[in-house]
Amino acid sequence: MSRWTRRNLLRGTLRGSAVAVSLPFLDLFLDGNGEALANGLPLPTRFGTWFWGCGVNTSRWFPSKLGAGYDLKDELRPIAPWQDKVTVFSNFNCVLDGRPNLVHWSGVMATLSGAAPLKGGVNGGTSELPTIDCLVADYMGQSTRFRSLELACTGQSGVSYSMRAGSTVNPSEVDPVQLYRRLFGPGFQDPNKAEFTPDPAVMLRKSVLSSVKDDRDELMRTAGAADRQRLEQYFTSVRQVEQQLEHMLEKPAPAEACQLAKEPGAMALGPTWDVATRTHDVMAQLLVMALACNQTRVFNIALSNAGSNLRKPGDPVSFHELTHEEPVDEKLGYQPRATFFIERSMETFASLLKHMDGIREGSGTLLDNSLILATSESNFAKIHSVDNLPILVAGRGGGRWKSGQHISGNGDPSSRVGLTIQQVIGMPVNAWGQGAMEVTRPITEVMA
Amino acid sequence: MRLFAKAGPRLRAASVIALATSVAITAFAPSSASPVESQAIAPQASVREPAIAPAEAGLRRLNEVQYARAIEQTFGPGLKIPGRFEPPLREHGLLAIGAAHVTVTPTGLEQYELRGRQIAADAVAGGHVAMPCAPKDGTFSANCARNVLGRYGRMLYRRPLKDGELSSVVALTQAGTQASGSFAKGLAAGLSRLLVSPNFIFRVERNGGPGQIDDWSLATRISFLLWDAPPDEALLDAVARGDLADKARRAAVIERMIASPRFEQGVRAFFFDMFGYEQFQGLVKDQAIYPKFSNDLVKDAQEQTLRTLVSLLIVNKGDYRDIFTTRQTFLNRNLAALYRVPAPTAAMDGWAPFTFPTTEPRAGILSLAAFLMLDPTHEGKSSPTIRGKTVRELLLCQPVPAPPPNVNFSIVQDDSNPLYQTARQRLLAHQESPACAGCHRVTDPIGLSLENYDATGGYRTHEKTALIDASGTFDGKPYSGLLGLTALLRESPDVTSCLVQRVFEYALGREARALDADWLNQANARFSAQGNRVPELMRLIASSDAIAATRPATTATAASSSSPDQAALTSLYRRAR
Repeated sequence: MSRWTRRNLLRGTLRGSAVAVSLPFLDLFLDGNGEALANGLPLPTRFGTWFWGCGVNTSRWFPSKLGAGYDLKDELRPIAPWQDKVTVFSNFNCVLDGRPNLVHWSGVMATLSGAAPLKGGVNGGTSELPTIDCLVADYMGQSTRFRSLELACTGQSGVSYSMRAGSTVNPSEVDPVQLYRRLFGPGFQDPNKAEFTPDPAVMLRKSVLSSVKDDRDELMRTAGAADRQRLEQYFTSVRQVEQQLEHMLEKPAPAEACQLAKEPGAMALGPTWDVATRTHDVMAQLLVMALACNQTRVFNIALSNAGSNLRKPGDPVSFHELTHEEPVDEKLGYQPRATFFIERSMETFASLLKHMDGIREGSGTLLDNSLILATSESNFAKIHSVDNLPILVAGRGGGRWKSGQHISGNGDPSSRVGLTIQQVIGMPVNAWGQGAMEVTRPITEVMA
Repeated sequence: MRLFAKAGPRLRAASVIALATSVAITAFAPSSASPVESQAIAPQASVREPAIAPAEAGLRRLNEVQYARAIEQTFGPGLKIPGRFEPPLREHGLLAIGAAHVTVTPTGLEQYELRGRQIAADAVAGGHVAMPCAPKDGTFSANCARNVLGRYGRMLYRRPLKDGELSSVVALTQAGTQASGSFAKGLAAGLSRLLVSPNFIFRVERNGGPGQIDDWSLATRISFLLWDAPPDEALLDAVARGDLADKARRAAVIERMIASPRFEQGVRAFFFDMFGYEQFQGLVKDQAIYPKFSNDLVKDAQEQTLRTLVSLLIVNKGDYRDIFTTRQTFLNRNLAALYRVPAPTAAMDGWAPFTFPTTEPRAGILSLAAFLMLDPTHEGKSSPTIRGKTVRELLLCQPVPAPPPNVNFSIVQDDSNPLYQTARQRLLAHQESPACAGCHRVTDPIGLSLENYDATGGYRTHEKTALIDASGTFDGKPYSGLLGLTALLRESPDVTSCLVQRVFEYALGREARALDADWLNQANARFSAQGNRVPELMRLIASSDAIAATRPATTATAASSSSPDQAALTSLYRRAR
């Protein structure tokens, strides 16, 4: 085995304060092949979603060639350095089957929850089933401090496409400073610190939550049926925070790639393009460290809401408005001002891949050990089309996902992608989704 | 008396569409009762209060402001409320209805835990907790814990704690005292336990006598309606004495609450909700286009309208309809600059009453910045469609259907096209598409007549180089400009019936249903007979049987199928769309 070295692979600047993550996941913790921990457990898989609003231009985004070595069109070109780690899906649809096409809502919920929603629109809505990140977090998020992290880049905590069934979204962190404090503030325990003493204050906090559960029976007896469900979710949240505290009472497993970042400086938040992408960049770096430090294995990032309010500074019209109002340029064949945002969205996604691919883990990188489902709510936002939704999966799922292909679904429900991800992660799921979106056939081409 | 269509308030969705195809529905006869001078609407013994649609007792999450007020009422002022709250949800036109449908996510609970812990620790350490007893350092006194936690628990849960509940918290306090070696820390653990309980975070309503919620739940409903705050100790004492069970004593309790300075905060909170003011949170306009826009201006705009409403409706006990036409308002420097009027001297460093002269294009709340700028979807221009939709939905309770999904907007707007310089010209082109016309005929005439006011509320006569045509029609009547519209709105029966419906929904935490129509009709008649005074409307609802009405909780199986009432309403609603 190679000697271990410490290298600074990821270096970013958070408003003046340098963030340096010194890397490699120490080989001495790995077995001889670099694919599993010395105790025989495989390296953990991470799962995330990455959402951008207002879709794509079909002819400029989707490759023409199927299979490996697909061609990159203009709008997907930013992912070129990671093409062999990115799978492109085309012709996977939101199958409405009589349900309404709720503009800027149906498409994303169909892909992420496996069900076409019944209520909602450009300002959000309800979900018939939990979104895939919740299911994955239930399966593999229990052993980390946070079951999942939700991040949004335009300053609005309600921008989130992570939901249990119902109308409550899992709210997003929007401020890098708050995110930093939540991750690396007083509750953080450095996994690589030699000594460990459980904090009695944490034990007391755990007793507090455990005591709150005494309220459950009486409340369940008196509440109406719909409210019982909401209370059930409430107590599930109590149990989850209790588990978080339990993790803080145990000595964390070492994670050599983990290094503490400095707190980022306060920054402006909002939907103008430069502000939102700067927010994305700082939060992405914090997220990568959270993953490297085993604070979570599941995450959701929303670059913007689905009716995207991203905007160039000084421009009166937002991305969403542009998609509907800007005429298609006859020479170019697309809407140039709206397309700016599509191309830049893909660059922003590529920047996340870059950060993740910069963390070495075993014989590969953090990106190799992840699956990131990136999607939008429309194909062509101008007409709210939900056929041929743009879907990418980045990463190799620890070697269990055959990456780097372009696969056509021939009009199948987009929930097949989510079913495949769940099966590759190892979840015992044979069927997923609801109504016309319910599927039983995974996409075997990507299963290693 | 004004009649709802038989099927109830929701049917007005249909009337909107009917109007759009120029079939005016005028089933509304003018009020037969002549307006009388301000006097309480005494429930007339001869006229029974109609029944309302049966609904289960509710579970409503406190919003951020209500949470902070509960803490202040319980522990006194000065405690910091740390952490972030989960975003509110607006449903059927009100946050108060959305609050009855949301829960708490794991991330949200993490924040509640942090918040409860911090508040409890600060309250105990900072002398915010009255200690009638002082156990020796490091020792635990069950009596003392019961005493303190019982008192604060009653304020936080808005009812006395049951024996088992109190024992659970006392046991935790004991464990906390032993673990930390400090009674104060143990007590802080006990208090934080109360603060994380759903009994505090939610308004948990419980059934009392047949068909009624219990008096504690009723007091909470009334208190949040009138004060937007939980019951204070005096109100809890009144409940314990049985005051709410007696009609005359209940009326006296309500009297005291309306006379309290907290009533103003209650009325403000209601209009904050009805007018969609949570959208001010994070509202941005492009400063390159609107140099006068700033975060301060956003706050000032809200405050101006709320002050105007409080002054007109509470202080002067005015007619609700006058909110559309009054020239009396309040100004500060920022707003005087925006409206381009000389600021009164008193407004140099604060707020001063101001009456717009009749030469100014400002009268009524629609002409003020709060209404004109409240559109989070457009940062660089005004949207006549959104403004029209806001008037229809928020002020008239007329739902506007969502745009059809397959709209081709290519004809809408090419704002570089010299043929279509104004929003009117662009939207007219859009309306030529039949798929779009139905809804835009409902929203746009209203919005287009407001185009003399830009996206922050500044006045203009031209868009680009074209003169703005601010003519419109409302309920079939032609008018010109915002002041023309508001004069017609003032006379629209939908304006007052919408307010009655919203206060009803706000108080009950649910949308009005078909079976509520008789009740709402009667309330409308009384509101109108009494001169459309908002405090009287609040009193009417706070004193009603309806605010206490409930039906037994359904079993798990029965609840999955919706009630016939709801089913009927749903089909009506669909048809209307």
